[in-house]
Amino acid sequence: MPTSLKDKYAIVGVGYTDQGRVSGRTALSFYVEACANAIKDAGLTRKDIDGLICYRYFQPAMGEREVTPYLVAQHLGLSPNYLSQEANCARTHLYHAIGVLEAGLCNYVVVTYADNALSGRRMIGEINPDDAVFGQFGYPAEYAMAARRAMHIFATGPETWKEIAVAQRRWANLNPRAYYFDRPLTYDDYYNSKWVVEPFRTPDVCLISDGGRAYIVTSVERARDLRHSPAVIMGIGQHNTSSYIDQSTYMAGPTGAKTAGQMAFNTAGITINDIDACEIYDCFTYTVEVTLQDYGFFEPGEGKEWFKDCSIGPGGRLPVNTSGGQLSEAYFMGLTQLTEATMQLMRRCEERQLGPKTNNKEPKIILCSDNGATLQTHCCTILRRL
Amino acid sequence: MTYNKPLPQPNADTKPFWNGCKKHQLRFQECRDCHHVRWPPSIICPKCYSNDTEWILACGKGWIYTYAVYHQAFHDSFRDDLPYVTAIVELNEGPHLLTNIVGCNHDEVKCDMPVEVVWEDVNEEFALPKFRPAQR
Repeated sequence: MPTSLKDKYAIVGVGYTDQGRVSGRTALSFYVEACANAIKDAGLTRKDIDGLICYRYFQPAMGEREVTPYLVAQHLGLSPNYLSQEANCARTHLYHAIGVLEAGLCNYVVVTYADNALSGRRMIGEINPDDAVFGQFGYPAEYAMAARRAMHIFATGPETWKEIAVAQRRWANLNPRAYYFDRPLTYDDYYNSKWVVEPFRTPDVCLISDGGRAYIVTSVERARDLRHSPAVIMGIGQHNTSSYIDQSTYMAGPTGAKTAGQMAFNTAGITINDIDACEIYDCFTYTVEVTLQDYGFFEPGEGKEWFKDCSIGPGGRLPVNTSGGQLSEAYFMGLTQLTEATMQLMRRCEERQLGPKTNNKEPKIILCSDNGATLQTHCCTILRRL
Repeated sequence: MTYNKPLPQPNADTKPFWNGCKKHQLRFQECRDCHHVRWPPSIICPKCYSNDTEWILACGKGWIYTYAVYHQAFHDSFRDDLPYVTAIVELNEGPHLLTNIVGCNHDEVKCDMPVEVVWEDVNEEFALPKFRPAQR
């Protein structure tokens, strides 16, 4: 991102829905509710919204119509200037929003993801017929292969990952929205959990969630007139290593996080020492480790010490995934991270609000990551208080 | 007993590979210009964009780049195989291939372990290239 875009755009509203296991609802209902709540949260009306960007990928549940962006717009009473028909890369959505704002095509853009993935059906990614022949199914196994390779290349493994799972659960225990709000996780619980695909146990793997999430992007100039103090986009960077896992030679790092992170830091004009908290895309515990490692928070293998004693948990050295993340709060693509960072910077996080309540520094700058497929895409976003 | 696991679905790109497998031959595309050996198959070489391609016969030896151990089945037809190992094998010729490791206990599998191809004839149409620890 060119430095001219630094501090030019901001996230100004967040929309939540009921989430976790919420049966008896269509995916569409979560999209519509999340977007309407985000619009209201920002202090806007539907007449202000001129851009809508929807995640669109998963097959609809039995008896449900495909949730097209048209359908979401129709149910929200929107006729936007920009309606994204682009589908399944949440990493690019903030880029698109900034792009249409910068081009002057739109003033207020809604970005959203929702699904009834848990109660409606299993959330299944693409299944490659050539992989199924050998009994290889889905992302847990692909990331397990990445993690296994990392265990071979540097000192990592369950001893490191248990710290991530337990620390994030401690955050979830402070967040009433979190799926695991009232269920603590101990180190023993971690080791006693079932293998999903070895070397991953259940607590290493993200949730599948019902619900939705949305956020609104506009210019910092317009943001000044809105309800909340905005989360300003200081820097953003993306790098897409692209190769499928079977041809990947970067699964143990450096992943796309390295280049994407450098781009975001260069735009923002800051270093990792300026980061007060991180919201890291945590499809698996290992993803959190390799992402922070590639951003430069520690050297390969040092994570074993760096994460020790829940250093990313409440009161720890660097708060990470303060909502509980996708491991313990809910899975809403990269929106889990961006919306939590926004809410933290707006100081609206109640019991988990970084500051005196959690014995952490009050955050001024928060780094968010999002990656897709098996480490094939990566987006790094740095947000700050106005 | 009929074979009830998913079968390969050859397409225009992968058909020569599966035809080779049927004859217990592991075949990959090699670029005639820059000699990069590639998998999956493609119309051009991703390194030099040449479309001058030859299907070469691989020696069937390589080493385990990485692997995963399944302790639960995500497809019923694999239930009786638990625990089983999927792996990415780096062939001596260069390409990485997703496959299974057979012929040893799952906890004996290691990254960098030398392996060699062993063929599983699943029906009249298909043979699957699987790998076992290299016999010395």
